[in-house]
Amino acid sequence: MRWLMRLFRRSKLEAQLDSELRFHIDERTAELIAGGAKPAQARRQAMIEFGGVERAKEECREVRGWSFLETLTREIRYALRSLRRSPGFTAIAILTLALGIGGCTVIFSALYGVLYNTFPFPHADRVTSFAIQDLSHPGSGREDLSMREFLYYRAHNDVFEDISGEYGGFGSTPVRWTTGNSNYQFDADYLSVNSFKLFGENAVVGRLPTDADVKPGATPVFVIGYKLWKAQFNGDPKIVGRYFTLNGVPRVLVGVMPPRFRWAWVDVWIPFTVNPAEALTDPALKNQGLYTVGRLKPGVSMKAAAANLDVVAHQYAKIEPRLYPKQFDVTADTLANRVTGGFHRLIYPLFYASLILLLIACSNVANLLLSRATTREKEIAIRASLGATQGRLVRQFLLESLMLGVAGCLGGCLLAWLGIRDIVPLIPYNAFPQEAVIQLNPPVLAFALGIALVVALIFGLVPAIQGGKGRFQSRLMALGRGADAGGLRHGWLRGLLVVVEVALSITLLIGAGLLLRTTFGLEHVNFGYDPAHLLVFQVSSPQSSPQTLRQALAFEPKVLRAIEAVPGVVVATVADSAPPYGGFSSEIEVPGVTHASRWSSLLDMCSPGYFAAFQMHLLQGRLLSETDIDGARRVAVINEAFARKYLGGVNPLGYQIQFRIFDQLPGAPNARYPKNTEFQIIGVVSNVRNYGLRQPPAPEAYLPYPVWPFPEGTILLRSAVNPTSLLPSIQRTVWAIDSDLAVTNPATVESMLNRDVFSSPRFEFTFAGVFAAIGLLLVMTGIFSVMAYTVSLRFHEIGIRLALGAQGGNIFGMVLKKGLALVGVGIAVGLLASYGLTRYLANQLWGVKPTDPATFLSVVILIVLAGVLACYIPARRAARVDPVIALRQE
Amino acid sequence: MADDKAAILKGTLDMLILKIVALGPIHGYAISQRIQQISNRHFQLQQGSLYPALHRLENRGWLAAHWRATGTGREAKFYKLTAKGRRRLEAEVESWERTAEAVALILRTAE
Repeated sequence: MRWLMRLFRRSKLEAQLDSELRFHIDERTAELIAGGAKPAQARRQAMIEFGGVERAKEECREVRGWSFLETLTREIRYALRSLRRSPGFTAIAILTLALGIGGCTVIFSALYGVLYNTFPFPHADRVTSFAIQDLSHPGSGREDLSMREFLYYRAHNDVFEDISGEYGGFGSTPVRWTTGNSNYQFDADYLSVNSFKLFGENAVVGRLPTDADVKPGATPVFVIGYKLWKAQFNGDPKIVGRYFTLNGVPRVLVGVMPPRFRWAWVDVWIPFTVNPAEALTDPALKNQGLYTVGRLKPGVSMKAAAANLDVVAHQYAKIEPRLYPKQFDVTADTLANRVTGGFHRLIYPLFYASLILLLIACSNVANLLLSRATTREKEIAIRASLGATQGRLVRQFLLESLMLGVAGCLGGCLLAWLGIRDIVPLIPYNAFPQEAVIQLNPPVLAFALGIALVVALIFGLVPAIQGGKGRFQSRLMALGRGADAGGLRHGWLRGLLVVVEVALSITLLIGAGLLLRTTFGLEHVNFGYDPAHLLVFQVSSPQSSPQTLRQALAFEPKVLRAIEAVPGVVVATVADSAPPYGGFSSEIEVPGVTHASRWSSLLDMCSPGYFAAFQMHLLQGRLLSETDIDGARRVAVINEAFARKYLGGVNPLGYQIQFRIFDQLPGAPNARYPKNTEFQIIGVVSNVRNYGLRQPPAPEAYLPYPVWPFPEGTILLRSAVNPTSLLPSIQRTVWAIDSDLAVTNPATVESMLNRDVFSSPRFEFTFAGVFAAIGLLLVMTGIFSVMAYTVSLRFHEIGIRLALGAQGGNIFGMVLKKGLALVGVGIAVGLLASYGLTRYLANQLWGVKPTDPATFLSVVILIVLAGVLACYIPARRAARVDPVIALRQE
Repeated sequence: MADDKAAILKGTLDMLILKIVALGPIHGYAISQRIQQISNRHFQLQQGSLYPALHRLENRGWLAAHWRATGTGREAKFYKLTAKGRRRLEAEVESWERTAEAVALILRTAE
C-alpha cells in the first residue's frame, strides 16, 4: 500500500526536488550577476559550481528509497516486453498453465464447496449426527429415533444445545397444493419446530415457525424454500401470510427460507410440536421415526458428545429394549462428515490427478523457459557485461515466470469458470448435499492464485539458476558457437523434465484406464434380468395422508390388476426396493440350524408379479400366490444365494425364517403380530443383483407385501414397449379407480441406474480421462519441443554427418532413438510410480486389479506411439537437412 | 590556490549541516553559502552533493523541511533541526571534539 501511495506522491516529490535545485542555481546565478558577471556566463558558472544536476537528483531519489519501486516497474516493463517479443512461446506457456491451473481449480472448487463449506448454518461444524451402532455389526447404525426416544434424548443429554427431528423428507412426501381448479405438487418435510432456531438461519421474507404455531388449535403454518419461491411465486414477498390448501388442509405460509436452506432436500417444511404431552398423543406423530441431528454446545468435543449420548442411549434401552441391539454404542460425527464421505472418496483421487496434470504443465513450461534461456544467452551475456548483477538477472527471470504465472492464473480461472458451469451438473446425483454450492468464490480464487505463484516459482527457478550462473565471460567469448555449447550443458535438465512428464502422464493414463475398465465392467454386469423396460412409480393418495393400513391394502390389488390390463404392460408388482438394490436388511434366525456368526438377509415386500418382472427362474418349490397375498400368509420365497449360504446341503423347503427387523423397527406393524414371527420357505428362485452392481447377489427373501405394507405403494412394471410412453395411460387407469390417487415419482430402472449406479464411475472416468488426455497432449508437445530444439542445436553437426556420407535414414533413426530413450526412462519411472500409487484408487475400482497388466501394457503402447509421433517431425526435419546450407551457417 | 582547499572530511558534512541548520530555518543555497563563509572558504564543497546529504538527514528524521517564501518572495525549501537531530548533533560534536583532542595530544607528545 505504501508503494502505491508513493507512486501518487512521486510526481509531487519530483517537482519539489526540481524546484529546490533550480532555486539554488538561480540564487547563485543572481549573486554572480550582482557581482558583475554577464547573465549567460553567470549561469554557466553556477552550473559548474553545482556539479551534475541529474546526478544530484538521482542520489536524492536513492536516499528517498523509492528507486526500488521504479526499478521494479522498469523490470516488469522489461519482462512484459521480452514476453511480447516471442508471442508463440508466451501463448503456449500461458495456455499450458491455464489448463493445469484451471483443472486444479475446478476440482478444488468442488472439494472446498462440498467438503469444507457443506452447510450454510452458522458454526455448521457443531451440527452433529449420531447413530446407535450395533457392536456385532460395526460401521453402520440407526440414525432414526422414535418420537418417544427423541423426546427422551432431548431432555436427558448434556451436550446439545438442542436436537432436531425430521420425517418424510428427500422426496418421499409429496404435498398437493390445490388452488382453484389447479393442483401443484411439491416435496415436503415435517420438521420439529425447534429445528429452525437450531439451524440458526433466518427467513429471508416473513418469519420462522414458532412454538405457538404448533399448539393444538393454532392455525397450521408452513415455510417454503427460496428456489420454489422464485420459481413458483416470482419472488413475490406478498405471498407470505396467505393461506394455501395443502393436502386439503389450509395452512398459512409464514416465511421463505434462505437459498441454501435445503434441509431434507425439499421445498416445503411443515413444523410439528416437540411438546411431549402433545407429540405423544397426536396419532400422526407418536409412531414417527425421526431422523435426528443435534447442535453441540460450544466447546463440547465429538468424543464427549458420543460418550454422553452413549449413557443416554443405555438408559433409554431399558425403557424400550426392542429398539436396541444387545451390544451397542453411540457414534457421533459432524453432519458434514457423515454426509460427504462418498464425495470425499470420489473427489480426492481427481484432486490428486489434477495436481499431477499441473505438474506436467509446470515441467512443460520449465522446459520451454529452459530452451528460451539457452537461446537468450547472448542477451544475458551482454546485459551481464554491461553491469547487471547476478541477483538482478535472476530477478528478471523470476519476474518473467511470475508474469506467466499470473496470466496462466487468469486463464485458469476463466477455464475453471467455464468448467464449473458445465461440470457441476455432471456430478452424480446424491453425491453431495444440496446445501453445498460449488462456485468460484474468494477461497477458490485464492487457491488458484496460490498454486499459480508456487508453480511460477518452481518453473521460474530452474532457468533462473541456469541463467544466473556467473560464466558470462566464457559465454560472451563463445558467442559465435554459443548456442550448441549451451545445448550440451542444459541437455540433461531438459531430458530430465521430459522423463518426469512422461512418468507423471503414465500415472494419469493408468488411473484413467483403470477407471474406464471399471465403468465398462459395471455397465456390462449381468443383472440376472433385463434392466430395460422396467418402470417404477408410486401411487399415493395425498388427500387422506397419512393412510391407514386398511386403505393401503384395499387399493393396491385393484390398482395392480388395472395396470396389468393396460396394453403394453407385461406384468406389474408391488416392490419396496429400487434395483439393483434389494429391500431392507435384517438379522435372521433359522430355527433348527445353528450358526456361529451373525446371519442377515435382505427382505422385499412383493406381490406374485415380482418374479416375472425380474425374470427370475423358479428352482425349487413354488412362487408366492394370490392366496398368500390375500391372507398375508407367513411364507417366504428365498433366492439361490440364501439357500447356498445358509442352507447349503439341505432341502430349504419347509424351514422357517425369523426376521429380527419386525421386532425392532418403529412403525412396523409388529404390534399386530406375535414376536419372533416365523416365515415358512416355500420356494427358491434364481439370483438377481440385489446388493448393487459391485457386489455378488446377497441372500434375499421375498415376502407377501400385506405383511408390512407401506402407505405409499411403490409399483414396478415390466413393459413390452418404451415404458415411459405408458405413463399417460397408467395415470388414466389409476384415476379411473379413484380420482384422488396420483402417480408420483415415475422413473425407469435404466434412468435410476444411470443416476445412482453408473454416474459416479462415469463422472470419475470422464474427469480422469480428460486430465489424462490433456496430460498426454502436453507431454507430446513437451517431447516435440525438446526434440525440435535439440535438432536445431545440432543442425551443424547433422550437416557434417550428411556431408561425410550419413544417410537421411540414419539421422532420422538417431533423433528418434534419442527421443524414445527419454520416453523409455519415463515409462520405467512412471510404471514404478503407478504400481505404488494405483492402490489408492482401489476403492473406486471394480472388477479390475489396481495393477491390471492389460491396462499397464495398453498405456505403455499408447505413450510409445505418442512419443514416436512427437519425435517424427523433428526427426524428419533432421533427415532432410541440406548439408550445404547447414555447413554454410558456420 | 585550489591545492590548499581540502575536501570536506568524510563524515563531517552531516555534522556541519546539522550545526548550521541548528541556528535557525535555512534553505539549501544558504547552507552552502554558510559552509563556504564559516570555513573561510577553506573547504571545497561540490554544491550538488549537498542535496543528497540534506535529503538523507531529512529521511532519517534529523531535519524537518517545509516550503515558504524567501525575502525575494520566491518559494524555497527551508530545513530546520528536529529534537532528534539536535541530540544527534550533540553526540557528533562531542565525538568530534574527543577525536580532535586525541589527535592533537598525539601530535604534541610525539614532537
